[in-house]
Order: sequence, then C-alpha cells, then structure tokens
Amino acid sequence: MSQGSGFDLRRRDVLKATGVAGVSMAGLAGCLGEEAPDELTITLSQFPDTIDPLDHITGDYFDVLDHIYEPLFDFEPGDGIFPRVVEETEILGGGVTELQLRDDVVFHNGDDMTAEDVAWTINRTVDNDIGVASDIGAFGLGSITGAEAMDDTTVEISYSGAPGLAEFEFGNYARAMNRDWSIENHDADQEGESISGADPEDFNGTGPYEVVEFTSGEEVVLERFDDYWGEEPPFERVVFNSDGESSGRVSSLETGETDVTINILPEDVNTVQNADNVEIRRVTSFRNIFLPMKNTVEPFDSQEFRQAMNYAVDNAGIVDSVLSGFGEARGQPVAPGINGFNSDIEPYEQDIGMAESLVEDSGYGGIEIELTVPQGRYLNDAAVGETAADQIDQLDNVNCEANIVDFGVVSDANSAGVDPDVIEIPFYMIGWGTITGDTDYGVQGFFSQDAETRSFDDEELSDAIAESQSIEDPDERRAQLEEVNRIAHEKAPFVFLHTQESIYGVREDIQWDPREDETVYVWGMNQ
Amino acid sequence: MSIAKFLVRRTLQAVFVVWGVVTIMFGLRAVSPGDPATLMLGEGATAETIARVRAQEGLDEPIYVQYLDYVQGLLIGDFGYSWRSNREVEAMVIERIPATLELAIAATVVALVIAIPLGVVSATRRNEPADYGATLFSLLGISTPNFWLGLMLILLFGVWLGIFPTGRRPVGLVEAIWTLVAFGSAGDLLTWLQHITLPALTLGTYFTALITRLTRSGMVDELGKPYVTATRAKGLPAVLVRYKHVLRNTMIPILTVLGLQMGTLMGGAVITETVFNWPGLGLRLIDALDARDWPLMQGIIVFIAVAFVTINVFVDALYSSLDPRVNDE
Repeated sequence: MSQGSGFDLRRRDVLKATGVAGVSMAGLAGCLGEEAPDELTITLSQFPDTIDPLDHITGDYFDVLDHIYEPLFDFEPGDGIFPRVVEETEILGGGVTELQLRDDVVFHNGDDMTAEDVAWTINRTVDNDIGVASDIGAFGLGSITGAEAMDDTTVEISYSGAPGLAEFEFGNYARAMNRDWSIENHDADQEGESISGADPEDFNGTGPYEVVEFTSGEEVVLERFDDYWGEEPPFERVVFNSDGESSGRVSSLETGETDVTINILPEDVNTVQNADNVEIRRVTSFRNIFLPMKNTVEPFDSQEFRQAMNYAVDNAGIVDSVLSGFGEARGQPVAPGINGFNSDIEPYEQDIGMAESLVEDSGYGGIEIELTVPQGRYLNDAAVGETAADQIDQLDNVNCEANIVDFGVVSDANSAGVDPDVIEIPFYMIGWGTITGDTDYGVQGFFSQDAETRSFDDEELSDAIAESQSIEDPDERRAQLEEVNRIAHEKAPFVFLHTQESIYGVREDIQWDPREDETVYVWGMNQ
Repeated sequence: MSIAKFLVRRTLQAVFVVWGVVTIMFGLRAVSPGDPATLMLGEGATAETIARVRAQEGLDEPIYVQYLDYVQGLLIGDFGYSWRSNREVEAMVIERIPATLELAIAATVVALVIAIPLGVVSATRRNEPADYGATLFSLLGISTPNFWLGLMLILLFGVWLGIFPTGRRPVGLVEAIWTLVAFGSAGDLLTWLQHITLPALTLGTYFTALITRLTRSGMVDELGKPYVTATRAKGLPAVLVRYKHVLRNTMIPILTVLGLQMGTLMGGAVITETVFNWPGLGLRLIDALDARDWPLMQGIIVFIAVAFVTINVFVDALYSSLDPRVNDE
C-alpha cells in the first residue's frame, strides 16, 4: 500500500467519524433540549428594545412588559375598564377622579406599592421634564395633566377633558413603577433618562411574573412572582423571544420550539393549518388601514372627489384577494368594539359610474394623482396600495399611480400637517390602531383643528370632536362619537379601506382567544 | 521595503477606508427619508415633542456640526446611545460580537475542512468522477443564495426530519466550554453544536465552493511547474509533494481570498443570522434598520468596517511573511 492511499484512508475515516459524531451529538442535544411542561414560549415579531415601561406604545412591548409592570386596570375590548390594582374610582368633579388602590401590592424587589409610586409614574408619563419623553404620555394619556397621592392608597388624577375620556386613557395606560428604586438605580426622574440595562435586576414591577433571565434583544424569561397579590397565573415559566420573519416564526411553531406566535402572514397560514398540534387563531383588530387625502390641496379639497375615490376602490374585494379574507372592509375611522363605533355606517361599495360622475362634478376630470404607499409596515401593504391605485386608475377621468416608499416617508407625510405650502404628499396609506378603545384616539390627531399634525382641515368635524371631549355622560358621549364617525364617513377625509386582522399561530391545547387590541396576556390563557 | 514599513503603509490606508465608511454612513443618515425624531416617537407625535427630541439628540444642529460631533465621539470611543434602548452603542455591539464570531469561525472551519481536501482530490484526479463531483458542488455552492439555502436546510433538517433546531443560540461557545471544563457536562456544548450546524453550513457553503475551486485551480497550476518534477525526481513521496510543497504554495492566494472574503462573510452573516434568528451583529443591524436606530446602525457598520480592514492588514502581513516579494511591490 502506498503512503498516499494510506493517507486517503485515514482522512475518510476521520470524515466518517466526524459525521457520525456530529449526528449523534445533535441527536443527544435534541433530547437534552426538551422543555419543561409548565413553560410557555411566546415568539414575537419584534423584541422590545427598551425596558422602560413608559417608553413605548406598540403591542410587542406591552406583551412583554405588562406581565412585569401590570396595568392598574383590566381593559376588556368592547366591554370597558375593570378593577385590578385600582379597586374603585370616583369622579370628584372639576376634572379630577379619585383612584382607590389595593393595599397588598408589592414590587418584585419586596417594596410595598404606595399611592406615591402610582402618582409619580403617572406624572413621569405625562411630564416630559421627568424621565424619558413618553410615547404613552404623548398619545395614550393625552388629556391627563397630573396625579397626586392623597394617602397610602388614594391617588387623585387630574385631566383636561371629559371624565369618560380620561377613564379610557388611564384605564389603558396607567402603570406603577417603584419611585425610589427607579430614581436610585436609574436616575429615572432626570429629564431624558429611561430605565435601561441588561440584567434581570433592571426590571421591578408588581405584575404576576418577575424576570429571572434577560438577554438584551433576544430573550426574557419570566417566572411566577410568589408574592403576587392576585390569582396565580397559569404557567410557572414564560419565555418571550422574537423572530422578525413570519416564516421563521412558523417554523418554530411547527417544530415545537415555540407555543404561541404573533403576526402570521396570510401566505403562511396554510403551513400552520397543515402542521400537527398547532392551529391558526384570528381576530379582527382595532387597527384600521386607510388612505388620507389632505383637503387643503387640489383635487382633495373637493368632497365629491374624495367620495369618488371611495367609490372607485373595492375595499371588500381587496380584503378577499390581497388579504386572503384576513380583514373587514370599513367605512369609518374606527373598528367595531371601539367606543363610538357607528354600526349604521356601511363601507362605500365600489361603483365606477358613480365615481366617474362625482369626479366630473368636482371639476377635476382628467387629473393625475399619486398614491404613496409604505412597504412592510402593515399586512401586505404595498399590494393593497397598488391594487387601490390601479382601481382608481381604471376610472376614465382619473390617472393614478402607486409610489412604494419606505415607511418613514409616509410617517413624515402623515405628521406634516395641512399647510398647503409644505405638503409634498397629499395622498398616502397609513394604519392606525385605536388601542385605547375610544374613538377619540382614532380621530383627534387626524381631524381636530388643535392638532398640528392633522391631515384634514374641517371645522364641523373638529367641532364635533371637541364637543365629544366635553360631554361627561358616557351614553351621550358615545352618541356624539358615533356622530363624529358619521360625519367622517360623509366628508370622506380618507379612502376607507379595512380593519386588519391579527393572525396567531398557537399550540392546539392552549385555551386562549386573541384580543382585538393586539395584546397577548398569559393570564388569559390555560392549557 | 521592510515588513514594518509595508504594514505602516497598509495601516494608514486602512484608517482612510474606515474614515470613508464613517463619512458615507453619516451621509446616508443625512439623506435618508424620514425624520429620525418622528420615527422614534411613532405615528402622530406632537410637534412640540418632536422638537424636544430633535434638540435632545442634536438633530437641530447644522449637518457639519453633527458630523464633527460624531467623528469626535468615535475618536474617543464614544459611539453614542441607541435611540430606542438608551443603552451605550459600544455595549450593544460588543455583546453581539461573540455570536457573529462563532458563526464566522464555524463557517470558515466548515469551508476549510471540506474545501481543501475536496480541491486537492479534484486537482489530483482531474477528469475523473471525483473531479466532476467537486466541480458540480462548487458550481451549486457558488450559485445558491444563502437565504434560500438556509430556508431549505430549516425545512429539511428542522421541520421535516426534526434533527436540528430552526434557529436561535441558547448558549454561547465560551459558556459551553466552561460548563464542560468546570462541571464536566457536555450538554451545553452539544446544544451549541446543534444550533450552529445549520447556520454554519448555510454561511459556509459559498465559501466552501469558492475555496474548492481556488484550491483546485491553484493545485493544477502548481503541479505543472518544474519544481514539482524536480521534487518527484528526488524521490519524495507523492503525498509530501502534494501537501508540503504544492499545497503550501497554493495556500498563498487562498489566504488572500480568505481575508478578502471576510467582508462577504460578514455580509452573508447578516442574512444568515436573520434567517436563523442567530443573535449576532447582523441580526442586530437588521433590527436597528427596522427601528431606524441610526447610532446603533452606524456603530455596527463602523465596527464591521474596522474588523474588515484589520483582517485584511493581518492577511497582508501573513502574505508578506509567506512570500517576502510582496513587500517590494
């Protein structure tokens, strides 16, 4: 035997041995990797990149942080606000509501929760001089002006709007942070300072779960908090991680690496439905998708033209074809289940003849317009926008093209206001989740003449919103908000498209109904 | 020219390359659509809040002032704070380096272990089935986009066969080795191996194919040279001729390509890490892009640029020690 062939033989042996060892080790490692039965893994589409409970406003953040920093109230979409950490509320008048807190609530570090903590947290949320400029303060607690502790368990909240509006706001967005801990460890009372860090000790809420492991940007592991005041949550251990790709989340679900995943794309639904032991669960969310038309520039200054755009677009057809049925056509700014949703309003139905006639009436026949559409922000957004633009383009007297852009362009356009000298993009696609459960959140920023970022300038609509903000009686206020939605439908400030559905992949044996407000609460699950 | 002078020249060039990257990144930030403050605050932020954040982040300063501030910060190692998490960018970059390094090293090991023997066999058995097989493998490896390959590997080995997990990195290599050494438990190491196998194969395939081809063509060239005939005439065994003399000379261009391809490897790592949810710099870069977190994005890219030029200078140094003639070029 030559030396050369001898070497070849040894090399082959080594390669074979390496292969066998690799497969064996992988198999063994697979056995070692089995998860404990009382553990739940939830895979999000985006991992929270801030751990400050006030420095966010989107769903994925609430999914994680609300288990640690629980809400003061339970919000049940469509049903309203219910006691939780706050046991009772009383409207004192003069823009003040009193909250009566439980006296047995403790933070994860062992400190008792007091009214001072709650008042400080609310003030930190609404006052930009204390801590980080909070998105929740800017959007969620818009009418709340401050809070004061009256004794250990009593807090008075002050607000500038109607009590009903304030209740929707603090009912959704009020949380409790440990004031002394936050200041001592994170300078959280200094302007611009947020709670940050990369250790489990950097979290300290009163929620049913406490953080035991934290890998920044990757994974957070929670375990039941032994001293929690309320009912024991259903799983001993909960792991939150994330995968930005829908296909990746689906693969994790199929292989049992995760138990619940959010934001499944319509094209991945069949894969989940065909897999063993997992299923799709869906719910119509509070997020509406629409095409704002700024009425301070031509041709959108004509109500006839704006209505024509609504008649040109087949929003029900778009839901069926582009969204595979995962949505509902809509004809008003907010979704069902929102306080003030007007159930008498039907979506505009596509009517090409009517649309062409209204365009002629508007005096803008033959006009060319451009629809600016973001890509990757909403469910199949670019395809939805292109289809809508194509349907408008099919009118004999309007030419329309879609311009697909980065979301930042659309976001800028949406907050640019209505000054005709600065408007560059008057017709675009945007989505809005009315997560407070109240119409005011869905219309105020778009239509109120007090809002610098409004997209539509109309006195009647703005006055109707202002009136709703001053009505104290909840039923009267709801009726006024329904009127706001009716006026909005008639004046057509948007091409109303649809309410988006939330699509989840879930292990079959987990009992859980998805919520319309897009939050995932483990305490609402069972196995 | 001495090696020292050669290295000084290359280092100076590297500094200019990094400065160029810093400047281009800053320019891109300036011309990219979307006001950062608006993006940070989300849809519908009030003008007052936006103005406040702009002032806080220095975004209302003239662009040259922002640039000088940024460069000055970099020079003293201050990459700034992430707009989203309010954490130091340096810390956010450093904590992700091990994962990317593990992946890059594993992919390189996969590539070298497979490619060099395959290239040698292919060159020494020209026009035989082994050569055709290696050539076909190279062609497929170079032509296959790694995002597609990754998804196929997940589908085959993760979903259908259930041998490997579909992604993530539950344990780091250092931690796994420490557990083995300190506690005698191989569990963590096996978990690590199980999780890195598919990403390393995905990232390493293009590299494997490329090095196989380079090894083959280099070996074929070298085998035809007179010194090979001379060494054979001296009676040296074939295996020594191939591996001690011919392969050593073939390694010089391979080493160069290996260094140059580190950039490609980093680029590929962004995609591979995204497909496998591997928590390295690439995945963090994608997250930063999604969130428009410019300080973090710039920090990662500057780090990658520094790593890239450092590796190249190192490769040049190694090259010059293997072949001193390059010092005079």
